Amino acid sequence: MAERVAIVGSGLAALAAQATLRHAGVRPAEIAVFGTHEDPTEVWQGRAAAIRQERMRSESEGHLAAAAWPGLALRDGPGAWLQTLANRYHPPVRLFLRHAARVRDASGWDASFRAGRVERIAAVDGGFEVDGDGPFRHVLVATGHPGLALPDPYASDPRTVHAYEPHDYGSKVAIVGAGMAAAHEWLNALAAGSEVQSIRRREPTRRPLNVPRPLLTKRGLEPYHRSTPEEHAATLRTLSQPSYPPGDAWDAPLRAAEAEGRLRVDDRLNGADQVICATGFREGWAHDPLLARLVAEHDLPTHDRWIVLAPDSTVAALTDETRTLALAGVAAQWAFPAADTIAGAKYAARAFARRVCRSR
Amino acid sequence: MSFTLRGRIQTRLAAAVPALLVAIALQRWWAIELVALMLAIGLALDVVYDRAISYQPAWLALPLGAFELALVYGGMRLLGIAAPLSWALGLFGIAWASAQVAGHAAFPRLRLEYGESGGELGRAGALTAVAVAATVFGGLGAAYATRPPTVHLHGTVQGPLVITRSEVLTGGVVKGGIVVRANHVTIRHVTVVGGEYGIDVEHAQHVTIDHVRVVRSQLDGIRATDAGVMIHDCTVTSPAGPFVAGILISYSMGRPMSMVDGCTVSGTREGISTHSAAVDVMNNHVIGTSARGILLGEMSMDMASHNTVEGAKGIGIICMDHSMCRIEHNTVAATQVDGTQDPTRGGVGIEAFFYAEAQLEHNTVIASPGGMRAFDNSVFTP
Repeated sequence: MAERVAIVGSGLAALAAQATLRHAGVRPAEIAVFGTHEDPTEVWQGRAAAIRQERMRSESEGHLAAAAWPGLALRDGPGAWLQTLANRYHPPVRLFLRHAARVRDASGWDASFRAGRVERIAAVDGGFEVDGDGPFRHVLVATGHPGLALPDPYASDPRTVHAYEPHDYGSKVAIVGAGMAAAHEWLNALAAGSEVQSIRRREPTRRPLNVPRPLLTKRGLEPYHRSTPEEHAATLRTLSQPSYPPGDAWDAPLRAAEAEGRLRVDDRLNGADQVICATGFREGWAHDPLLARLVAEHDLPTHDRWIVLAPDSTVAALTDETRTLALAGVAAQWAFPAADTIAGAKYAARAFARRVCRSR
Repeated sequence: MSFTLRGRIQTRLAAAVPALLVAIALQRWWAIELVALMLAIGLALDVVYDRAISYQPAWLALPLGAFELALVYGGMRLLGIAAPLSWALGLFGIAWASAQVAGHAAFPRLRLEYGESGGELGRAGALTAVAVAATVFGGLGAAYATRPPTVHLHGTVQGPLVITRSEVLTGGVVKGGIVVRANHVTIRHVTVVGGEYGIDVEHAQHVTIDHVRVVRSQLDGIRATDAGVMIHDCTVTSPAGPFVAGILISYSMGRPMSMVDGCTVSGTREGISTHSAAVDVMNNHVIGTSARGILLGEMSMDMASHNTVEGAKGIGIICMDHSMCRIEHNTVAATQVDGTQDPTRGGVGIEAFFYAEAQLEHNTVIASPGGMRAFDNSVFTP
């Protein structure tokens, strides 16, 4: 049977989509995955390694298999089962990666994968062409974050490295940012014996997950989807403020370092020999060449830095009963505020799989 | 999970399927009534939970389950649902456990978007929920429509009163005893004075005797032969002769299990006796019997638990004649020597006699010179 489904992108969101489609009965031969990395964990793994991340921020259900159960806690022993009752379980990164490898094997990822960066998606009769291939009736774009953000004036500073790039720690380290990556870097640099200057414009929000839990389900999503575009954007801006989880595992080392005078908070650089920008990613569709071209060529509706999507993550203007264009990952925030998480990837994947199955 | 109200309701109704199937299999109206009560309380609470709990972590199922259990138990007592406590707990346990298994494992596997849709189950789930609700509340309606007639007694009625059809007899005083010869009879809040037997049940089952007081009977206070009876919160006192047994259940192995729960028996010859029967004897208070306090005998398979036996003459609790008994959490106090020099009746608190096997656990025997003893090829097992 000819391929009729295309996934553009080859990261975790793409793998979640592949697994979900397979669960729905779509065969690997019917799916084409276009991407630059054959290993779907490669990019994410590089970033996690750069900030020495050992545990996921997500919980037991933060995995890539199609069904939520069994979660990762079930594979990690009775202690994990108990922790997960109180949402205290955060899977080890190594366990997550092992699980991702299993999902890759089981989902037939390698059979669907086609190496290459996609430059253009064009709506045509019967679906979409992906760089001239196709047409595919259903396309899911999961291209991920459009590059690392290095804000001025640090971008041009030779001392600067981004947190998600490989690096060691100097003796006096300035860490810019206040989110999850910054929190890791504070602890890493302190553990390496550095003096740490935390440069931040605001105090970080302490939140277990990227977004409040109700926003992961219909309970919070329904009012969000009903809100006006301005309210949508305001919610997304609020949620994009830096945050990291509460807990003594984070706070105790920071308190101790502050007491020793090895950690101070500042709003500007002051004598650091290394600047680590834990400032996340460039934000907005305009930074992604593929999305920018898609928007321009098809005159897609946007609002500020977001592409306007239907609640099921589809691009309404290019989706009907016969074809689907949907977004996953960070580009799908208009539909799902936590789109750049595993939960978000699966939200988009499930909606996409429903449409694929419905059109059989 | 962050449930929507619809998600809570659909999940609760669909997860009730196993409990409902068990209730249907039991073929007892009380089981259907109990499931209906659990669902009614649960659905009412869902409205409250929806407002109070925006996110429900998994551990919260335990305290919420305990809270719902307390409400269901209270509702059961209030509405007079005649469910045996152990069965009621079992049914609640099945409902609670199946809700956990369904909510955490089964539903997320059957419907991938179960979590993100706030517990909503889609069209199939909604149909299941409606079917469950229709079955339970339809069953409740059927139970109500086919319930036996209720006879209210006012003042004193001269007996013996012979019941030969299914009915509920409630209130009043009956002189001369009550004879039950039909299934599905309930006697509630009745005082029985005199009679050869206070209440005599024979060849009948699903008979409930609830909050009944029996005084001055000539033979047995309550006698059940070839019968299945549920006796709750009764009182048997002031026997009219020296040979009266308080409650006697005999030759009932072919009938559904019987229960004697929460009764007070005082001053009779024997307190509560079973012969060739399967009976749960629990939470009773047996005082001042002139012979054995509780007797489990003649190849019975009984359980005696959480009873208090005070001042029995000879033996407090006995398991005898090839019976197999579980005797646990009882308190036996001040058992007296009966004066015959027979060591088997020498103020023995708990006794196994003549090829009986008694499993003992957590019993307390106080001021009973014979202690706990096994005679004539009988054994105690821990």
